[in-house]
Amino acid sequence: MMGAKRKKSDSDGGEEEESSATNGYSKEKKMKTEILPSMIKNKDKRSEVHAKLKHQKKLEKRKKAKARDAAAKRALELGEEPPAKMIPRTIENTRELDETVCMPDDEELFAGNDADEFSSILKREITPKILITTSRFNSTRGPAFISELLTVIPNAHYYKRGTYDLKKIVEYANKKDFTSIIVVHTNRREPDALVIINLPDGPTAHFKLSNLVLRKDIKSHGNPTSHEPELILNNFMTRLGHRVGRMIQSLFPQEPNFRGRRVVTFHNQRDFIFFRHHRYIFESKETKQADSKSKKMKDAKGEVAKEKVIAHLQECGPRFTLKLISLQYGTFDTKGGEYEWVHKPEMDTSRRRFFL
Amino acid sequence: MPRTSALECPGCPPLRALTFDVLGLVKVIEGRGKQGGVPKVVDRWGEPDSSKCVLAASMVHAKYDPLLAVARKNGTIEVLNPLNGDVRLSISNVDDTGNRPENDAIAGLHLFARNKVDSGSRSCTLLTCTTNGKATLRAFEDIFSADSASVGSSRTWNVCSSGNILCSKVDGSENYALFGGKGVEVNVWDLNERTKIWTAKSPPKNSLGIFTPTWFTSATFLSKDDHRKFVAGTNSHEVRLYDISAQRRPVISFDFKETPIRAVAEDLDGHTIYVGNGSGDLASFDMRTGKLLGSFLGKCSGSIRSIARHPELPVVASCGLDSYLRLWDVKTRQLLSAIFLKQHLVNVIIDSNFTSEEVANSTRDPSVEAAQTANENEDGDDQHLQPVKRKKSLKEKKVNKKGRKEKNRSNEISAEDCGSKKLKSKKRVKCEVLDDSP
Repeated sequence: MMGAKRKKSDSDGGEEEESSATNGYSKEKKMKTEILPSMIKNKDKRSEVHAKLKHQKKLEKRKKAKARDAAAKRALELGEEPPAKMIPRTIENTRELDETVCMPDDEELFAGNDADEFSSILKREITPKILITTSRFNSTRGPAFISELLTVIPNAHYYKRGTYDLKKIVEYANKKDFTSIIVVHTNRREPDALVIINLPDGPTAHFKLSNLVLRKDIKSHGNPTSHEPELILNNFMTRLGHRVGRMIQSLFPQEPNFRGRRVVTFHNQRDFIFFRHHRYIFESKETKQADSKSKKMKDAKGEVAKEKVIAHLQECGPRFTLKLISLQYGTFDTKGGEYEWVHKPEMDTSRRRFFL
Repeated sequence: MPRTSALECPGCPPLRALTFDVLGLVKVIEGRGKQGGVPKVVDRWGEPDSSKCVLAASMVHAKYDPLLAVARKNGTIEVLNPLNGDVRLSISNVDDTGNRPENDAIAGLHLFARNKVDSGSRSCTLLTCTTNGKATLRAFEDIFSADSASVGSSRTWNVCSSGNILCSKVDGSENYALFGGKGVEVNVWDLNERTKIWTAKSPPKNSLGIFTPTWFTSATFLSKDDHRKFVAGTNSHEVRLYDISAQRRPVISFDFKETPIRAVAEDLDGHTIYVGNGSGDLASFDMRTGKLLGSFLGKCSGSIRSIARHPELPVVASCGLDSYLRLWDVKTRQLLSAIFLKQHLVNVIIDSNFTSEEVANSTRDPSVEAAQTANENEDGDDQHLQPVKRKKSLKEKKVNKKGRKEKNRSNEISAEDCGSKKLKSKKRVKCEVLDDSP
């Protein structure tokens, strides 16, 4: 029976034949192996069946991709619209509906922006001046991290912590016209938290710091110049995220020096803020085609024609990840402080709920 | 498929709430319809301006011509009509001595209801208190005349010599007021004589000999008709019950969580209070025993600045720095609904006249009126059954349905009787039956 069918289908030819054959095969297989490989007790047999299944899946997947490509190609040849690209369903794009997401037509949002604590810096009335200090104990990676932070943030000054209370330091910094304080907290010789205090009257953000990679540990890293960096803030969508974003923005001077070609990125993804620091360069390079052609017909088209601009990126480090733990109203005050936002365990009831 | 867990908010009974935020906006939130209505922002008064940030608000819940007083950061006090937001009166609290409003902000504001009842609706009396302890009692004869020069009388006195006043409250009879703050022990004043009648005494040092500095952040009287008992919340996360007639030290004192108490509100029953703190925890306590009745859980993440109890329905409203107005069921402690209002909120007031007002202009919407009167009736009938109200209404529906069914059945029976009597006109009877069936 089966053989006859096959012969019949052979006559059709083309792709369909193959697919029908495999379909028949897989159907047959299914009939045979309703049993899952995990139900087979003999290990040799189990692994064999499993490998077979896996191979089959792989083939199917490849064929699907091939068909998709072919369809796209055909559409291109016929001059039609290519079939819509499929968008994978990720946790971010299926995030829970959140009414706090900022809308560009929100009048109150802009009024609030004008009134908030960062507006004087962001309107370029004041240039930011940052005080960086540490926790009481600080060693090994802490100082190294701070020295790198000093190269990242212009107009940042490191002060030894000594035995001063943080509230005293806040007072001192207020007197000296600092606009923010960054405290690098170190635990077991590893920086593990970052407290950013905006002066003179808050807010205070407390971040968890993880995955710190220092410059010297980054392969083929670059050494940054002292130009004012450009700043990229990605995905700070909600009101809270907006506020945190503005807070981070207020650490940097608002006039980037584009000659320096230095970029600092804060990328928010699923409430984790990824920090990266890069240098870029534009290289105008003759493409390979132009090279091969130029050998033959040198002056036919001239040098103007085939110049392609390529951007090169080089990471300067450090590299780290921040996660917001709390945002406090006012300056640092753990005992009597009011919180604008604290992370509470009862909020973690869904993987698809994000706050930034 | 993406699994999303939407917040299940059962919705709340019809009510009207006013919220005040840091941009000086007043937003009106109304929940309409029966149980399950989602409240919405129906109105917004004022333009966003950070210098007009609201510091305190007070309202007279009169049936006719209610008034709302709002104290702003730039030192002005506005008297509004809480129905449409028209400014009736605007006065400046800045005096000639050159005190700038930033240095001496208003900490407490109370609008008296008593005078209105006595001498017509044209006058109003205001009690304001600044952070430096300057209390002022102002009376206005005629708030409807356009000029604000019609100040009847204004009396000022100092309630504290040092420290900052952070909370003030006037009791139900409006004869006594209490003040407290940072470095100021709670003190009670007789407003008629303007004399201090009582001052609290700070609690003794603890077993380690450590003295916690005085810092009251919120206070409220325990019941409307008793000025002797009041509850105060401190910055060192302590809730204290004071009894003037008993002693100068707190009668009951207990800790609540680990951040400062920011808001305290009393219930109608005279012994329950609601406490909100700096990290967004809200709980109710029984002040007879000092025991925790339960916490209100609902993903509230920002400091609670204000709590308001609905005067009739079992609903509590809370708002604060997370810019949500949250409505809770008192009995089940469930979140009824949360409304995002975009700014840090400072204060919330529930307008108690909302339902009656609905009835008044019910000519256009009789169904709503019917629902509301039904609700009110229920309230009157069985206050002990309030938490199961929804179930009850369901039951009622069922009963109704049953009733209808029975009716139908009786109709059928009668029809059948008819049929047996008049066999000839069977067809017609059938038609009748069909007609009867809904």
